[in-house]
Amino acid sequence: MTDLIKHHTALLVTALSAAVLGIAVILFFAFWKEERKEPDLVVVSPHPKAFMISLIKEFENETGIKTEVISLGTSDALKRIMDDKDVDVLWGGSLLTVSSYEEAFYPYHTENREAFEDRFDGVDERITCFTLVPSVIMINMDLIGDIEVEGYEDLLDPRLKGRIAFADPGKSSSSFEHLVNMLYAMGNGDPEKGFDYVEKFCENLDGVLLSTSSEVYEGVANGKYTVGLTFEEAAVTMLKSDKHIKIVYMEEGVVFTPDGIYINDLSERKDKAEAFVDFMTSRNAQSFITANLGRRSVRIDVTDSDIVAPFDSVKTIEVQTENVIGNKDRWIACFEEILKRGEP
Amino acid sequence: MNKETVCFRDSIRKTFIGYSIVPVVVTALVLLAITGFAWSHSVTYRNEKENRETSDEISRVMDVWYLMTEDMADTFVENDCIVSRDRIFEILYERCGEFGETGNLVILSPDREVLFTSKETVPYYLTEPAYSDWGILYTAGRAEGRTVTGLSEGDICIGKSIYENGGVKGVIVYIVPEAVISRITATGERYLAVTDENGWIWSGNNKMLSDAYGKIANNFDRETGYLKNDGKLYYLCRTATKCGLTVYTADDMSSNIRVFALLIAVVVMVFAGIVFITYRSTDASSEKYTADIRKIEAAFEAVSNGDLDVRLLTDSSREFNTIGNDFNEMLRSLREQIAENRELMTDVAFAQLKQLESQLNPHFLFNTLDNIRFMAKIDADAADRMIISLSGILRYTIRDTREEVTLREDLNNLQYYLNILQIRFNKRFKYSIDISEELMDCLIPKLLLQPLLENAIKHGFGTKEKLSVVIRGYKITDKLVFVCEDDGAGIPSPRLKEIRETLENDTNDTAHYGLYNIHRRIRLMYKGDYGIDIDSREGEGTLVRILLPCRVKKG
Repeated sequence: MTDLIKHHTALLVTALSAAVLGIAVILFFAFWKEERKEPDLVVVSPHPKAFMISLIKEFENETGIKTEVISLGTSDALKRIMDDKDVDVLWGGSLLTVSSYEEAFYPYHTENREAFEDRFDGVDERITCFTLVPSVIMINMDLIGDIEVEGYEDLLDPRLKGRIAFADPGKSSSSFEHLVNMLYAMGNGDPEKGFDYVEKFCENLDGVLLSTSSEVYEGVANGKYTVGLTFEEAAVTMLKSDKHIKIVYMEEGVVFTPDGIYINDLSERKDKAEAFVDFMTSRNAQSFITANLGRRSVRIDVTDSDIVAPFDSVKTIEVQTENVIGNKDRWIACFEEILKRGEP
Repeated sequence: MNKETVCFRDSIRKTFIGYSIVPVVVTALVLLAITGFAWSHSVTYRNEKENRETSDEISRVMDVWYLMTEDMADTFVENDCIVSRDRIFEILYERCGEFGETGNLVILSPDREVLFTSKETVPYYLTEPAYSDWGILYTAGRAEGRTVTGLSEGDICIGKSIYENGGVKGVIVYIVPEAVISRITATGERYLAVTDENGWIWSGNNKMLSDAYGKIANNFDRETGYLKNDGKLYYLCRTATKCGLTVYTADDMSSNIRVFALLIAVVVMVFAGIVFITYRSTDASSEKYTADIRKIEAAFEAVSNGDLDVRLLTDSSREFNTIGNDFNEMLRSLREQIAENRELMTDVAFAQLKQLESQLNPHFLFNTLDNIRFMAKIDADAADRMIISLSGILRYTIRDTREEVTLREDLNNLQYYLNILQIRFNKRFKYSIDISEELMDCLIPKLLLQPLLENAIKHGFGTKEKLSVVIRGYKITDKLVFVCEDDGAGIPSPRLKEIRETLENDTNDTAHYGLYNIHRRIRLMYKGDYGIDIDSREGEGTLVRILLPCRVKKG
């Protein structure tokens, strides 16, 4: 080998350069980094994509701020915005779920607050209310037959056993809203008393527990389940896409919890995040949302869509936010306990 | 590389490799590089061409629509906003007839009332209150009369507010017929997307460039160049047209790169094979081609170590064969030369000794001195001549150490000898010398002729009373011949035979030094068929003949 090295320098140089060239080409293609283009604003959101696209499009159209949207479930979205300072805004997520993390958010008082209903204007500046998403019961009209469903109580009908779509409240925030709604409504204002109902309800679930909220409304719309416990917007969207369903506001009472927009306290693009908040709470955007996207506005000057039941016609229930936040984990644990008990 | 002298075989091998593998490898690498370059160039060129053609066509079409929209707006302003349906359709068909699709031209009043539509229906996003300041209406409303492009719910719209006397009189919205753009984009051979300014895809031939929201995927949202997406390499070309639409075209290079990498791998492997085989084969061939060189080297080594008996057998090529033969020939003649030189030296020394011995033959000396003593009593003159002659002989013998002398010099000396013999034998001895004067400057070995006389005296008298000797010298062609003939007793044939045999041999173990020495000296001094021959008949006489090359003293 030493002879080879000694006497064949030219050969070796050629061979080596060939090898180096080959390796370089391979490495070049193998390790070429996927470059990311940094957008002007990064928004993380649990909203359905169809809900977001028109709004983001118009936001970009009006402000010229190029926005990247990351779709995640509420808890993952929360985790993400707290971990990543490059995520500027958390768009969506019920106040009941997010309020307890308000320390991570940046206080911003949008001018639009003046047009908010008082109860939404009153919340902490770290939280800007966005829309109202009441929990509803969604019924597949083709499958329900002559079963009357007007509220929670009707869900205990044995004919619905195993035909109720409900997501794990530990995973889906809309499901947790329903659990809260259920506890307050059936416990007559005392959520702890509501667990009697939950036990019966779980029995009628017959072991069926879905993992995402979309499985609930899609499951009902597609006929996999007869009734589903979901949120108003999803039901409206299904209704708009000509699904043969019906929205039922529980006669025992409906909790109207707003969701919010939250600016990351660590964001380096707060001006753009503020522009986002301003746009989303503007009359124009709120009108668009109520007219086309099946949500209720937090503004006084925007009237609700014809599709949804007027606020006044629904029995509402007030909840103590602190109570809900404080008991969240326990309630979820209780629910799971009950569900487990029901299993053979 | 250090300065050490390299082995011939290795340099031959290096040359083989240097002139075979290296050019092949270099050529192949260059070709590979050229191929790679040409390929990537052709990909980028064709991509850019398609992108340019697409964006040019889209620009052209959009320009037509822009002009139509502006024409329409101008017509409205000119006619105080009172324009007949027919006139509107006239403008619309005149401008857009070539596309086969007229699209939907909608004219709205400032409070979003539909004044005109070229189709039966008006899209909800122009009529519903929620959209009154949304999408194209938002953009057109804030464009201050400029013609603008905007996406509304997936449709590309061209919008323009009609201003008259500083007030807004209405809005023209032209919903571009998607089929016209689709016809342009659908023919694309590569991934193609047409987006608005914010990257929302409006038309394209695939979902590849889109993200989950219908926007251009982040990885593709960049300027023209190479990029990596999902582990694959793409070449992306991007053109932003004047009308607010951006055209993206992307080529997936991954499969081509895999083929190219495979090509490189194969080439490298083939090279490795070639290098291995060549390395082995050059080992053998350089061994073969330099075998004779090594034989020559060994032969020279042996010669320089003193072994002159080596033989060089080289037969790999005509040249080496000649070298081998010449070497062997040279060695052979060298060996001969050395042997001859050695012999010559000993012979010369020996001859000189014998010359002295013969010249100062004690018998001759005693006889001469005895004669001088005797002559001194009876003939003082004769004694005196004898003494003079004897001293002349002695002087000639001693004085010159030259090997060759002229015939004249040797004859002078012979004359002294003859004088002594004449006095000594008086009338019993007769001689005659017949040598042409022109031969006198010829060179002959010293003391050539005296031994002939000695020999004649020795064998000639025998029982005879008288002896006559004739010495003749002449030239035949380029040869000098001396003949010494006597009429003496002759030599008996067995003895003659013995003498002849002695002359043929290289060694002499007989007592015939005189003739033998002459013969040997001639043989050694002159190459060729020279020397002595002798003939004798008992009772009749003896003839000795010397054959020499005729050489004349120079200068």
